Amino acid sequence: MELIINVFLIVLGLYFGLGLIFGLYFVFIGGTKLDSFLKDSKKIVRLLLFPGVIATWPFLLRKLLNTEQDDS
Amino acid sequence: MGLDYKFVLWNKHKKTYDKFIALGMVLYLILFFVLTLVTNAELTVETIIIRAFGSLAIIVLHIILIIGPLTRLNPKYLPILYNRRHLGVSMFLAALVHGLFSIINFHTLGDKNPIVSIFTSNMDYGSLHNFPFQVLGFFALLILFVMASTSHDFFLKNLSPKIWKQLHMLVYLAYALVILHVFLGAFQQETSLFTIGILILGFLMISGLHVIAAFKEGKIDSAKGELDSNGWLKVCYTDEIEESRAKIFTVKNERVAIFKNEDKLSAIHNVCKHQGGPLGEGKIVDGCITCPWHGYQYLPHNGQSPPPFTEKVNTYELKVLEGIVYINPDAMAEGTEVAPIVC
Repeated sequence: MELIINVFLIVLGLYFGLGLIFGLYFVFIGGTKLDSFLKDSKKIVRLLLFPGVIATWPFLLRKLLNTEQDDS
Repeated sequence: MGLDYKFVLWNKHKKTYDKFIALGMVLYLILFFVLTLVTNAELTVETIIIRAFGSLAIIVLHIILIIGPLTRLNPKYLPILYNRRHLGVSMFLAALVHGLFSIINFHTLGDKNPIVSIFTSNMDYGSLHNFPFQVLGFFALLILFVMASTSHDFFLKNLSPKIWKQLHMLVYLAYALVILHVFLGAFQQETSLFTIGILILGFLMISGLHVIAAFKEGKIDSAKGELDSNGWLKVCYTDEIEESRAKIFTVKNERVAIFKNEDKLSAIHNVCKHQGGPLGEGKIVDGCITCPWHGYQYLPHNGQSPPPFTEKVNTYELKVLEGIVYINPDAMAEGTEVAPIVC
């Protein structure tokens, strides 16, 4: 049981760790490529979105990649 | 509906509701502290904080879960629905304080990582009675974090309404985990029949209201109208629809709202593009159908949001014969112009 718990917590840690890295990129650079409304939004809005980006980063990454593919 | 995102979409009414939420939460916490100190003075401050914020989060979670069915049963509760998002974030913050204090109090004194300690301090996973209830609380808090952190229009738009809705439907899983967390905790730490009784009452209230609301909506969906020779569905008499309001009907398994605006009728799909709100429960404001949930607007004659906004819903053809309203069951494409019919 302890092994399952350790594996689960490592996976959870990795998920949120990767989310943190993606979140920093997304909030400062990538977000505006996905949603032009972010360009004119205040900085505090980006800060507010940061935890949600960490939580849902696979969805946003997929959409960002699709958007960049469509643009190129 | 804006061309940039706001930190919080406040207006005068929302500010008032938020003040009520904040005041109610503070009053509850004060009351809890005073009553606990009077009746159970041997408890530590940390324990009182854990219990005060935990019980506050559960109460607010119950309120959140009854708002949906209450508004379906009676539109006068709609104003509470407008502020459900803020209530949800407030509930998460209360649950977070409860969780953080619990971790600090019970899992930071040893040499293990506190998160690992939550999962391993009690390894009785095979027991029903002694199951590690804090793990259930951890998962509930994780779900509530995902929900609270994505409670912004940015995520609704960019995750897509479908995924966003699915994520937020996890509130029912969080509720089940919370109930089990408290139920087991109440049994294992000190058997509290009062806590268990309140939980059962809360569960009966939430499930009962959901069943009653589903029954009411089921009646709308199962209503069978008669077709005329052209296959148009007879729905109601013109005077059954109030000015600036709508009646909702189910046509080919889709809900349609027929609005009356200046004695002319228009029909659009009942589901708002923003968050799936019931447009037919809203009213016409400044010539626009206004969603009761978040104020998204659509023009009655073409189902389009007024420029510069781009949302569109399906429209439907209507006709009136001898005061009876008929609808063509085949939806027009989203945003198609259909001339309003004079009553």
